[in-house]
Amino acid sequence: MAGPLEQFEIHKLVDFPDMTLPFVGTVDLAFTNSHLAMTIVFVVIVGFLSLVTARPEVVPGRLQTVGEGVFGLIDNMTESMIGHEGRKYFPFVFTLFLLILGMNLLGLMLTFTATSQLAITVTFAILTFGLVMVIGVVKNGFGFLKLFWPMGAPLVMRPFVGLIELISFFLRPLTLSLRLFGNMMGGHVALKVFAGFVAAAAAGSLGIWLSAPVGLVSMSMVVALTALEFLVAFLQAFVFAILACIYLNDVVNLDHAH
Amino acid sequence: MAEPHEPVAAHSADGVQASTAAEHDSGGGVPQFEFQHWGGQIAYLLVLFAILYVLVSRVFAPRMRKVIDERAGAINGALAAAKQVQAEAQDQARVAQAEVADARAQSQRVAAEARAKAIAEAAERSAIAETEVSGKIAEAEVRIAAMRDRAMAEVGTIVTETTRAIVEKLTGQAATAAEVKAAGGAA
Amino acid sequence: MDAAAAKYIGAGLATLGMIGAGIGVGTIFGNFLSGALRNPSAAASQIGNLFVGAALAEALGILSFVLGFLIFSAQV
Repeated sequence: MAGPLEQFEIHKLVDFPDMTLPFVGTVDLAFTNSHLAMTIVFVVIVGFLSLVTARPEVVPGRLQTVGEGVFGLIDNMTESMIGHEGRKYFPFVFTLFLLILGMNLLGLMLTFTATSQLAITVTFAILTFGLVMVIGVVKNGFGFLKLFWPMGAPLVMRPFVGLIELISFFLRPLTLSLRLFGNMMGGHVALKVFAGFVAAAAAGSLGIWLSAPVGLVSMSMVVALTALEFLVAFLQAFVFAILACIYLNDVVNLDHAH
Repeated sequence: MAEPHEPVAAHSADGVQASTAAEHDSGGGVPQFEFQHWGGQIAYLLVLFAILYVLVSRVFAPRMRKVIDERAGAINGALAAAKQVQAEAQDQARVAQAEVADARAQSQRVAAEARAKAIAEAAERSAIAETEVSGKIAEAEVRIAAMRDRAMAEVGTIVTETTRAIVEKLTGQAATAAEVKAAGGAA
Repeated sequence: MDAAAAKYIGAGLATLGMIGAGIGVGTIFGNFLSGALRNPSAAASQIGNLFVGAALAEALGILSFVLGFLIFSAQV
């Protein structure tokens, strides 16, 4: 039987010749199951958004209501977190949210979970962190460093608090990526472990007396965990988006906040 | 224990089976940490992200905003129209009320006029009837008086005749009319 | 002790760090809820802080979980 980690393995579906780039090294260009999952998510998102916005009506239909609900969720988030400049950063947060949510949900449909790949979550986190850095430097110049000089703290404490702020600032991409990765991976591993118990019970490898209760309990655990995972899938995408908003707000409204 | 690179090398051969078997034996390395797969995934994700970002910022978000603004406009427009209609209705109600009051006043006036006219007519008619009646009464009185005079005259004649007849019977000679008359007149 | 056994014990010990994350996240949401019930009108404005706090607390737990998995799947 397959181990709980097997679902995270990457298989090459179509292989292309490796490419050697300067500085980066050899890049494997194969089209893997991870690529396939990302492609499906991308196509579904674009299809969904096109459907929603293709024939928009003033009185929305069902699909349009869903689309506008998602749109409004992120729109309100950027607006309330970042303020009137939030609209500028809305496409970024919206794209981030949709991709993560799509990948999380696709992972629950018995396919490959792209967000359980550290490479993917790290990319998302670095993107967000990089954008925050770029905006911070472009908008504030050297004033960006005020972020690490907390005016609220007493003068004696400021260097220490600032040091902590600095460390936590540079830990952000790490925590962002590991949170999503850990949640997705942990949830899927737990699901797979309990599903493995069900399979073992069904195969009768647990003996006569243990099979039925273990199988039943495990099965209900799988059902409950799946429901929980749907919640987590949404929540993690939401948390990622909200954290992106908060980090953006730190640098966009640096002058007002500190 | 297998080397970490072994399962990966097995892929390109008839390898999925072999690799899972190898995983099993080793107790697994976490597949996410096989770094040779990172480059392709990251590059592909960046490309998809960029495309979706452009699509959202150029196409989808403006469309959505347009619809939402349109809806807000439509709602505001409908509210304004409703308010206007309400105001109009109130105006109309006021006008109608005024008209009703007007009509009532007019009808009262008409009624009063009609009553006055009826009273006047009745008075006129009764006056005419009265004059007619009194004319008739006068006529009747005249006639009665004439009848009485005639009766009285006849009574005179009867008296004269009777007197003459009595005189003839008593005296045997006819009295002259003048004498009878004088006698009758004296009687 | 067998190295593999030590590895598994170590992995188990590492994931104990998630206890702290669980306590932290529970505290944050519980306190938010009690505060929100006292003053519901101010609750909506603190959702952002809520999630930042929960995310920070959870991130540490996830760190220990990932660390545990790294140990668990290390090639001994």
